[in-house]
Amino acid sequence: MAENKESQSKQQEEPRIGVYICHCGLNIAGSLDCADVAKFAGTLPHVVLAQDNRYTCSDQGQAGIKKDIKEHKLNRVVVASCSPRLHEPTFRKACEEAGLNKYLFEMANIREHCSWVHLHDREAATEKAKDLVKMAVAKAALLQPAEEAEVPITRKALVIGGGVAGIQAALDLADTGYRVYVVEKEPSIGGMMARIDKTFPTMDCSICILAPKMSDVGHHPNIELLTNSEVTEVKGYIGNFHVKVLKKPRYVTKDCSACGECVKVCPIVAPNEFDVGLAIRHGIFTPFAQAVPSTYIVDMNLCLNKEGVIVCDKCIRACERQAIKFEMKPETEEIEVGTIIVATGADVFDPSVLPNYGYGKFPNVITSLEFERLINAGGPSGGHLIRPSDKQIPKRVAFVQCVGSRSDKAGKLYCSNVCCMNTIKDSLLIKEHWPDTEIYVFYIDIRAYGKGFEDLYKRARGEGVVFVRGLPAEIKEDKKTHNLWLIGEDTLKNEVYKIKADMAILSIGLEARKDSEMIQRMLTLSRNQDGFFLEAHPKLRPVDAATGGIFFAGCAESPKDIKDSVTQASAAAARAGILMAKGKVTVEAITPVVFPEKCKACGLCVKVCPYNAITLNKEKKRIEIIQAACGGCGTCAAECAFGALTQSHFTDDQIIGQIDAVTEHDADKKIIAFNCNWCSYAGADFAGVSRMQYPPNVRIIRTMCSGRVAPKFIERAFARGAATVLVSGCHIGDCHYINANYQTQKRVERLWKKMEQSGLNKERLQLLWCSAAEGEKFASKIREMKSTVDKVKPEEIEKAKEVFKKALEGT
Amino acid sequence: MPERIRHAALDKETIKQVKTEIHLIKDECKGCGYCIEYCPRNALEESDEINARGVHPPKVVDESKCINCGFCTAVCPDFAIFVVEKPNEKDEKHAKS
Repeated sequence: MAENKESQSKQQEEPRIGVYICHCGLNIAGSLDCADVAKFAGTLPHVVLAQDNRYTCSDQGQAGIKKDIKEHKLNRVVVASCSPRLHEPTFRKACEEAGLNKYLFEMANIREHCSWVHLHDREAATEKAKDLVKMAVAKAALLQPAEEAEVPITRKALVIGGGVAGIQAALDLADTGYRVYVVEKEPSIGGMMARIDKTFPTMDCSICILAPKMSDVGHHPNIELLTNSEVTEVKGYIGNFHVKVLKKPRYVTKDCSACGECVKVCPIVAPNEFDVGLAIRHGIFTPFAQAVPSTYIVDMNLCLNKEGVIVCDKCIRACERQAIKFEMKPETEEIEVGTIIVATGADVFDPSVLPNYGYGKFPNVITSLEFERLINAGGPSGGHLIRPSDKQIPKRVAFVQCVGSRSDKAGKLYCSNVCCMNTIKDSLLIKEHWPDTEIYVFYIDIRAYGKGFEDLYKRARGEGVVFVRGLPAEIKEDKKTHNLWLIGEDTLKNEVYKIKADMAILSIGLEARKDSEMIQRMLTLSRNQDGFFLEAHPKLRPVDAATGGIFFAGCAESPKDIKDSVTQASAAAARAGILMAKGKVTVEAITPVVFPEKCKACGLCVKVCPYNAITLNKEKKRIEIIQAACGGCGTCAAECAFGALTQSHFTDDQIIGQIDAVTEHDADKKIIAFNCNWCSYAGADFAGVSRMQYPPNVRIIRTMCSGRVAPKFIERAFARGAATVLVSGCHIGDCHYINANYQTQKRVERLWKKMEQSGLNKERLQLLWCSAAEGEKFASKIREMKSTVDKVKPEEIEKAKEVFKKALEGT
Repeated sequence: MPERIRHAALDKETIKQVKTEIHLIKDECKGCGYCIEYCPRNALEESDEINARGVHPPKVVDESKCINCGFCTAVCPDFAIFVVEKPNEKDEKHAKS
């Protein structure tokens, strides 16, 4: 309470702002004049101290801030350095340690948004940095201290996906002592690893090392395994997720002893998906011998017994333990968990979209996954590599690399990470069984980057595997013998090759799962342009999702091998464990504030809230906010026409303060950009990290969501003579706040209409959907808008001022 | 498993095909059509002929479709249909062992 009183008293005091301009070595100081910016900052209202230093984030730098807070009685701190997404927590902590409420700290991003993107225009970069500092100071003067609410964390975890990553994460958490739910879509856990024959680079038997772990998951007292199940709904927030899991019936109870008598009598057959269709299975089956749980399952799409009518009872009669129950129904289990680990894995590329390789047409062209099943002793051919056309063992085998990877024509742009080493391993496996086999590997680059990888590559070359640089342009087939001809260019020898092979193995890449979109929406996650889930920070928070309490493991985040998947899974388990061990978490104080005297109980805010966190009390004619359910997007505050709602730490006054600061001088040369924290601000950061150069006219104002951008902000920018305004958010469907950016779109469209009706050039207001990975998209938008800025005539600026002048009233 | 299946199963010859003979006692049939409607493999359809009771009895469309589930026998109110499984070599061996 004492702290509370203190912060309240500070709020009433005259602001005393300390400004620190960081050089960041030469990262900032190399492209702009930090001393000049500091000098300028000293002239700004309320600033009592302004200095530049080499590394503000260093211990020394932080100690300086702490000292100044005490000595100079600073009650607001502004640091102009890197992105707040990187170091805001660092400086907030420093402020707190010096007794200053952390919400009295503000950052100006003069690195990612200034020095790094204007490397060659020192003067303009310095001017822009001054503007950014001025905006931050304007906001800082209006900052209010805030106390964060504490939320308890349920000490249970959910792992989505039962591949090796999910298995490892579940075991680590369960061994730590937390209750874990593992939800797997397929009838058995094991995932991709269970289908692979050997692992590289050690040539361990894949299922032999995985099966004990699978069994541990099945028997662990802390793990509840839900196979043949799907997560259908996730509600709640960090520490308090309410999850609905649909448990599809197996039609076989746990009494099943896996004796297999039922399979013998089942009259229905179909291709076994586990073996990529290379073997058959029956209507009642187990996907593979080591399946966990070992309980059999009835495929209801095949079974003759539909809608409760027992037409065929052969399996029922064959089952001694009476474990087959066709009356089983789907069930929905509701579980409460504190953390979620997403380990949903990846799909493989389907090479039938590449007509030149003839996959699906020529029987002897197979994929690397089909190869794994063929070479596997537990597979359909009992470990004999046989040609599908005549079941003979091939004498000449060709591997084609990068099928579906590293291609801008067909497939994906990225490298799938595992295929090079997988092929080298496969070639050695063939050599081990049939040493006389001639093996050709057609590649672009061999990427043997990991521990022990180069040795394996060397070994393969030593065993006589021929590596040819240059992918075949085409595979042709001899229709009689089904032998293949691979035709292409050897780019090392500069000559065309035409090589005959008995069998060709397409080394297919990994791609994001097709159902990733569903998981993304349920958990409000982001994905990169390749479709994989996006981590909170690529270097320093590689397993955290941007959404609190959610972590990634395995190929869901990017293609990776088994070792990396397991490493990441243990990391994710540790990260989730940290939260659960603490047992509570504080949530950012960015929830809405209501001014009841202004509220007309119109209910508009209730409608736009993506979290249903606002309820309308009709009797009392006022709204009520459930703070714990609020996500903090601020779209309610933007929707309120009466100014009865605002968002803490992103108040109307603060944002207007920033707009006014930036439009004070040369507004007609500027682009005022509103970027959402999660996608477009991060995208602009990414442009900076990648040193993408764009015109220095833009000034970015950060909001948590583009849904926070009230029309009056845009109107005010124009009324104060801004040349152009950019509103930028996450892609529709990818909004960090479920669907708040739909409101952004509506509001911008309404303004476009208004501008058109008033005879204004509506190009001056732009809307951009930009993900955290689309730095270039942001940069090119700014280049495009710069040309609009150049074209806008002074009379147009004046006209816009006239049209929007109402926006200047009432603040 | 999301992959599309492009190759035929290598062990498809090992599938034990059930061979059956469907026996119809046509004159017992009263033409209710239950066997036709309930056959899960759609192995039966109505014939054009008229039996002693003046109705159209069923006829076999494709005997190879039948997997001897016996449901037609179970639903026939007039005991007019039954199926006999033809033994094949493998089965005989299995029975002896």
